[in-house]
Amino acid sequence: MLAGCRFQAANALRPLTRTIACRASNFYTDPSKNQDPGVSTSPDISPEQREILDRALRVDQAGEIAANWIYRGQFAVLGRDPQVGPLVQEMWDQEKLHLEVMDKLQLQHEVRPTLLSDVAKAAGFALGAATALMGKEAAMACTEAVETVIGEHYDDESSQLKDFESLPSSHPSIPLLRDVIKEFRDDELEHLDTAVEHHSQRAPAHALLSAVVGGGCKVAIELCKRF
Amino acid sequence: MTTTTTSAKLLKLALPLIKNHGFTRETLSLSVLSLPTPLAHPLPDASVTALFGPGDDARRTLVHAWLDDARHRMKEEAAERMRMGDVLKARLKSNEPVLEHLPEAFALLASSSSLPLPLLPVDPAPIIKHAAEVSDQACWIAHSEARESSWYTRRVSISAIYLAAELHQLTSPRTAPAFLDSLLENAEHAGKALDETALFASYVWKSWRGIVRSSGVLV
Repeated sequence: MLAGCRFQAANALRPLTRTIACRASNFYTDPSKNQDPGVSTSPDISPEQREILDRALRVDQAGEIAANWIYRGQFAVLGRDPQVGPLVQEMWDQEKLHLEVMDKLQLQHEVRPTLLSDVAKAAGFALGAATALMGKEAAMACTEAVETVIGEHYDDESSQLKDFESLPSSHPSIPLLRDVIKEFRDDELEHLDTAVEHHSQRAPAHALLSAVVGGGCKVAIELCKRF
Repeated sequence: MTTTTTSAKLLKLALPLIKNHGFTRETLSLSVLSLPTPLAHPLPDASVTALFGPGDDARRTLVHAWLDDARHRMKEEAAERMRMGDVLKARLKSNEPVLEHLPEAFALLASSSSLPLPLLPVDPAPIIKHAAEVSDQACWIAHSEARESSWYTRRVSISAIYLAAELHQLTSPRTAPAFLDSLLENAEHAGKALDETALFASYVWKSWRGIVRSSGVLV
């Protein structure tokens, strides 16, 4: 319940935080910041902490791969729709940026990528295309369900109550990582809002669809942490 | 906690002694003579057992320590823009001081088994794990921009190449670098052949896709 309240609070504060802070991901997308120690070095941490960081970045990268391919699948079906097409394109472009940053994080911290990346691509594309074939509202419902799970996942990661708490803030890469995760959480919640605004709740069997998609995402998260 | 730090320190001091004394309990017991304030006598066998384990377990601990140290040295001595061949050759070179003791070290690793009833007379898992760790470290040094699609395949092929080269080195140390080069070259040819096949297949796929689209079947 506490996690739920914190999630709602983050949702409410989002517009404020975005106008105040510059994007943390700029450190990864701006070539002039390539040599910054926060971007190019990894902290010297114990094997247990390394395992925590490894798992978190592996699952985050896998999530962004899946999200990219979900939007690709939706765009393949709905790309030509004058209303939804540009929307899906815009959200997909943001996910491409997320994936670019995640790839750089994976290389920076020498993290093993998931074995299931091809599965994530295929499943993501299939999910996106299938829900898009069911209709615009179903596609938005799929986006709503996926972004809810991903948003909550990033919120858990960035909060002080879970895994990242044990990582040392003395090395510049760790606070930067926390900021990047928070920024991505806000982006995903924005996608969630967009989906709801575009009538995701009107999708046929909305509750069932959301439950199935959300459940599938949670299983995928657990699998990618290990594999 | 103190015992773990002590055994780690002694393992580090034992590494230079392996050249002369091998991967033996004697090496571990002599390590105390290299301390900053050295002891008067080597460690008794009971102390070696207490710190490092009974029988061959102590020797295996020493083998693992030596392998870990060689891997750390790979990273420390890595220069900018080192090619895969150079990285692996440097790792093979670090075997040279203890080359005569390595066959016994690998035999020790292969004779350990975590299962209560060993399914095989020799357990290949520790040796495969060693090759995988070396290949992982080498790939991070030489190919730091690898994309996720080739991450695993590259590591599998490099670990097989390294294992073959190391086994070759045990019998014929002078020809090992040349053997390694030939293996890497073959792997590169095989990789190129696979890439070209994949490219050709993508052309065929695109052609068929274009034909199906233009036929008007899908509207």
